[in-house]
Amino acid sequence: MTKSLPFAPLSRRHFLVGTAALGGLAAAGISTRVFAEEPAKPAEIIVRAWGGSWMDALKAGVSDPFTAATGIAVRHDLTEDNEIQPKLWAAIDQGRVPPIHVNWDTTTNATKSALKGYAVDLSDLSNLAGTLDTSKPVGLDGYPIVNTYGYVYVLAYRPSAFPDGAPTSLQVLLDPKFKGRIGLYNDGIGFHFPAQVAGGGKLEDIPANMQPAWDFITKVKAQAPLLGEDPDFTTWFQNGEIDLAVTISTNAREAKKNGIDIAWTVPEEGATYDTDGLWVPKGLPENELYWAKAYVNFALSKDAQQVWCDGLGLPGVVAGLTPPADLVGDPSYPTKPEDLAKLIRIAPQVQVEHESEWFGKFKEIMQG
Amino acid sequence: MRPTTSRYPLIWRVLDGLEAAAARLWPRRFTRATPVLMLAPSLLLVLLLVIGLVELGDSSLRELDTSTFRLSATWTGANYLKIATSGLYWTVIWKSLFGALVVTALSLILAFPYAYMMVRTRSGLLRKLLLVALFLPFFIGQVVRAYGWLIILGNQGVVNDLLGLVGVAPVRLLYNYPAVLFGLVQYMLPFAVLMLAPALTAIPAELEAAAASLGANWVKTLTRVVLPLARPGLIGAGLVVLTLTLTDFAMPAILGGGSQDFIANAIYDQFFRTSDQGLGSALALVLVAIGSLLVGAVFTLFGAGTLAMGRQR
Repeated sequence: MTKSLPFAPLSRRHFLVGTAALGGLAAAGISTRVFAEEPAKPAEIIVRAWGGSWMDALKAGVSDPFTAATGIAVRHDLTEDNEIQPKLWAAIDQGRVPPIHVNWDTTTNATKSALKGYAVDLSDLSNLAGTLDTSKPVGLDGYPIVNTYGYVYVLAYRPSAFPDGAPTSLQVLLDPKFKGRIGLYNDGIGFHFPAQVAGGGKLEDIPANMQPAWDFITKVKAQAPLLGEDPDFTTWFQNGEIDLAVTISTNAREAKKNGIDIAWTVPEEGATYDTDGLWVPKGLPENELYWAKAYVNFALSKDAQQVWCDGLGLPGVVAGLTPPADLVGDPSYPTKPEDLAKLIRIAPQVQVEHESEWFGKFKEIMQG
Repeated sequence: MRPTTSRYPLIWRVLDGLEAAAARLWPRRFTRATPVLMLAPSLLLVLLLVIGLVELGDSSLRELDTSTFRLSATWTGANYLKIATSGLYWTVIWKSLFGALVVTALSLILAFPYAYMMVRTRSGLLRKLLLVALFLPFFIGQVVRAYGWLIILGNQGVVNDLLGLVGVAPVRLLYNYPAVLFGLVQYMLPFAVLMLAPALTAIPAELEAAAASLGANWVKTLTRVVLPLARPGLIGAGLVVLTLTLTDFAMPAILGGGSQDFIANAIYDQFFRTSDQGLGSALALVLVAIGSLLVGAVFTLFGAGTLAMGRQR
């Protein structure tokens, strides 16, 4: 059932006034009261999130302070990002109210929704003015997604398996000593591009010629790697199943916090750098849309970014954030242009367009 | 003098009332339509299934445009062509099909003695123990059971701990095809036993005694008397295990370490990972076709009376 709108649609000016006021007050730590121009507050807004330490960081940095500032409860929906997507698309296609207000998503996934025209343009958020270029989605008009931080697919390793020091190259994956002791994502995400370099190819050849990547991945296949999702890597390291993995630095850092013997590095071939972001699906009632956008705007405030990104151990998109003490100078926490130069960045649109083909090829090699 | 109806027992009066209400709701002249009414819920479910299949069929004939992430407006056979020409899908189909056949065979081989013992034992205690052991796994979901195997068979699991006691280095027991099949057999065994037990119960023990009195040893009794008479149960159990295994998702996903996908895993990937509803639908219909062909082949091989349906009384 479609909810009826209890008020006249908001003008752009009214929205900007409200959002800017909210952002300003919240940033100043002042609890907001009902604004004259403010639409009715929903009892809660629902934000899709990843669980575990990911949700804890969002809750501490954004959701709880947002609730304190607005009085609106924030519920985290832990449906997987891949699984919420078809539900959102179906809801929008059928004219139903989407099941969530804000989607915390990978930029690649979010780009698909933006290309379909299902994401609300967030260009008018006041806090965008204080963000770095990395907050802007590449190749899309406006801000159907706001990137909120970057992350690196590092080469995580068990230090006890490397008594002579950290591995420096992805060629270590071919060392017979590590046969059956390597972990990769089950679709190869984060590994395709460094594998292109490790296989002797050039990044400029992506996507036209990725044969070097497939050749290298074929060699890695002979090493019988384990293939899984984020939580699997922690389990595998913890259970002594693997010594090496290409995974997001946050997972490695979280495992280390939990007492697992683990370290990470960016190999000489480079490491994939990608972003996550927030987006708001179309089809929300006007007042809920207003507060969903207010939530995203709030997430871009410096205070929210500092706590949220500290929790994740990832660099945010607002200038002047202080890195967590344990990540100062860490290659997985790029803060300077020269740090980013060591990382591999492929435009989300290229990834979206070829993702199916790359995942299929990776699986074909690994399932063989 | 006849007693008044108020002196009838309460239960009679309640039943009379219900009968009268039923007669009002469904008058006697509708009696001939009663079977149709009773079939209606099943027909409704089948109809919903058919509608779903038609929707899948439509989507399967539309190709995803990755520049807009919308399915094509016109029909095309591109998704089926992709399946037919992709090594990945042939591998996945082969793994599913071969796995289903192996798991079915092993489940039946293991389920038969279990079911036979459960039906024929004279010990009430043993029968109860076998029943408890049979039903206990039903209280534990498939995913939990698969994770249980991770704990037992992992590098630091119980089995490797025991091997370590006799000086054997940890062995990789998980994340391979045999591990998936092992998990599936363990999951399917109770289904097979439950399907077989009624068929074995229906075989009078006297027939086995008669065969023995005529000089047949236990092997002959088994092969000439018990197995032929248990055929409906064996076929029924085989069909259930075969179709459930063919469409399984969790065991390959959890015990396969990402490299032992079945068709259901490939379908999931298309719907949820790459958002290609068209290719996912085509794969789903291929799975339906393979399952239907297998079941059809079983009926063709073993006849229409396979499941003891339509048997002469």
